[in-house]
Amino acid sequence: MTNKNIYKYDNMKRTEHMAVRKTAGWYLWTHHLMEVTGRDSAIFLDKIYANPIANLKVGRDRYTTMLNDNAEIIDDVVVFRLGEEKFWISTLFMNKLKPWLDQHKGEYEVQYTNITKKYHMYAVQGPKAKELINSMVEENIDDQKFFSIKDNKIDGIPVKINYGGFTGEKFGYEIYFPSEEIGKIEAELKKHGEPLGAKEVTEFQIMAWTLPTEAGFYYLRDLLHTNPIEVGLDSGIDWDKDFIGKEALLKVKENGPAREMLGFTMDQDDVHLNAKDLGGPGDPIIVDGEEIGRLSKFNYSYVLDKNVGYILAKKDALKIGDKIKIKDYEAVISERKFI
Amino acid sequence: MSKKVDERIPREVGSGVLPDNPAARSPWGKLVSYRDAIHYSARYNAVFSASALQALRILVPDYKERATLMSDNAYKRLYQVFTSQYGPYAMDEQNSHPFFRGNFGGGLTGDAGDDALLMCGRVNDFGTYRVEKELDVCDWDIVGSDLCRATTQSLQGTADGQATHLQPGTKLEYCMVEAKGCGDPHCRIVAESRDKYPMPEHEIWESFGPIATEDQIRYTPEEDMVKESQVFREECNNTFCNGTCWERDASSVYKQPATAATTYIFPAIEQLIAEKKFDEKFVNHILRCVFEASGKAAFGEFYAKEGLRNWLGVPRDIDDGRIMGAHIEMFLQCMLVDYEIEAFNNEEVIYVIDRNRLTFNTPRAVDAFVYMWYGMTKTLVSAEWSLWEEPNDTPADKLRIKIAKKIDKFC
Repeated sequence: MTNKNIYKYDNMKRTEHMAVRKTAGWYLWTHHLMEVTGRDSAIFLDKIYANPIANLKVGRDRYTTMLNDNAEIIDDVVVFRLGEEKFWISTLFMNKLKPWLDQHKGEYEVQYTNITKKYHMYAVQGPKAKELINSMVEENIDDQKFFSIKDNKIDGIPVKINYGGFTGEKFGYEIYFPSEEIGKIEAELKKHGEPLGAKEVTEFQIMAWTLPTEAGFYYLRDLLHTNPIEVGLDSGIDWDKDFIGKEALLKVKENGPAREMLGFTMDQDDVHLNAKDLGGPGDPIIVDGEEIGRLSKFNYSYVLDKNVGYILAKKDALKIGDKIKIKDYEAVISERKFI
Repeated sequence: MSKKVDERIPREVGSGVLPDNPAARSPWGKLVSYRDAIHYSARYNAVFSASALQALRILVPDYKERATLMSDNAYKRLYQVFTSQYGPYAMDEQNSHPFFRGNFGGGLTGDAGDDALLMCGRVNDFGTYRVEKELDVCDWDIVGSDLCRATTQSLQGTADGQATHLQPGTKLEYCMVEAKGCGDPHCRIVAESRDKYPMPEHEIWESFGPIATEDQIRYTPEEDMVKESQVFREECNNTFCNGTCWERDASSVYKQPATAATTYIFPAIEQLIAEKKFDEKFVNHILRCVFEASGKAAFGEFYAKEGLRNWLGVPRDIDDGRIMGAHIEMFLQCMLVDYEIEAFNNEEVIYVIDRNRLTFNTPRAVDAFVYMWYGMTKTLVSAEWSLWEEPNDTPADKLRIKIAKKIDKFC
């Protein structure tokens, strides 16, 4: 039983990961999409989400958390403003979002429809992503701003290009297109990507875990039953507006968070640890005989070439540079962002 | 000295038992906690299923032939279920993501299903090309390795069925490379993409491996093993939560009587009858022989009877059909099977039971329960007593059973 590292020695995973870091990678990254329309759509979404939505300009988008009344994060999404009274919410948890909106709709004049089946999405990420997108689209994207979404065309197919992503790359884009065109878009990506040295990313673990973790991003499993302050997602919150969970979150702000999310690196390669990202409670972090946290995430940085992860720990129980043991393996506490 | 308070029910002093901590109750007021009730019925079902598999082993003595029958039957049924509209519903519920390609997402169903069957453990790997799940507990470990093969193929059918609703992608082959029922310390399912990890093709029943990624196995030593599902563990806040944030509480634990038998064994028996391999009368004869013997064996030893009396809180002066009735009642309560009591006295005990709930729409398993309970009555009470079905004047969806003294010269 070697507990051989499932990332380090896997050349397929390494190649896909490093394509995004060195050239570009593309991958099917379709999310659930909820289209929200109606006279009150902006103020309704302002109430639903912690970060401001009503002040978004048309064609811009924003990452935000969704909280329950206890200020616990129950989803994190990107909201796009496509018109004065038209928004898209990109989530991976439609089955939670729909009942949540139903529960809070009240007298708001707003309609929302699950349009997931209508659109697929490809992520195109990496230093050559802009070049790759430009080689495919009819309208050059050089002037497109970060966190903006614009109509465009690929081989005559109407698409929307969003400048953003989940990899931490400076140039990261997402192509939204009609679902029935997936074959053509895939062929276009291959045709234009391969000459640039770009690769298709096919491994879920790379697109959802290793790339985002290196950049310090979260997957919802990391955030579940935490609040934005303890995981460092409070900087964009608009405290001047009303939103669900605000009252409870203000108390956390006032008293200070009880926990914090920290990063760690681990030099030993072949280890067996259980983090929340695979389900369950995560391995306990024991310091001086006391459990001070749990292992939230554990995977690999191909850029650092070592194991990395996140720990949700009691506030101030650990500091950057601390050396701890997780089970029998030595780890060094670090910032959550690894590159 | 550690001041740790081990997990206990109720957790807090003074919080009482009911209503915060639901329980089943014997006819004499003995309370059995929800957790114990679930564990009890899980093992009860395993014992019942072990008998069912013995019957199938008599009908089909050849291991390969039998394992093939069970595996093929399980694969086809689960594939059909998950290619239907149930597939997208289940995938939504478990938060399968729209960008998943291929069949690796089936691992989510297997993981949640394990936890709901109290087969606790952990996911060690979850990716497009490889999935690994390790179990520390399996109540079905007494049923038989042919069942393990069939369950593996049911997972394969589930995963393949789900994949039909997604964009094409690599196909994983699910293998059970360790099985507690075979003597291994864990059950371990490893699913591998044959595109990435080529291996020779094999027949459907050969789902125990070998695999290509044995060196990637994460082995949990005994000291780190768990004994309870996430829904019964404080460290999990008594909530199952998988990697895609599917959260479920203890009410999600499977309460389907005889799950292994009704999901994997009786369907194979029905297939044999449908294909006219065996006459239905002969099959029923085999079931009667096996289940009656199994029931008699359950309480043949005096200490087994003493144990049951203690479990149910039977008063010292009671030694008649009510003990058997209480035994059945406790099982029905634990499984949330509706029943009515028509009689409960020292001469007769009569129950009217929801037939469909009892066996999850597997009618022949109802007969098997009656055979087994008949056998139990002979040793738990005495040979003077018997248990039989009284179908007359009973609605088709009800099972009316009577426990009373009876002389039978052909028993």
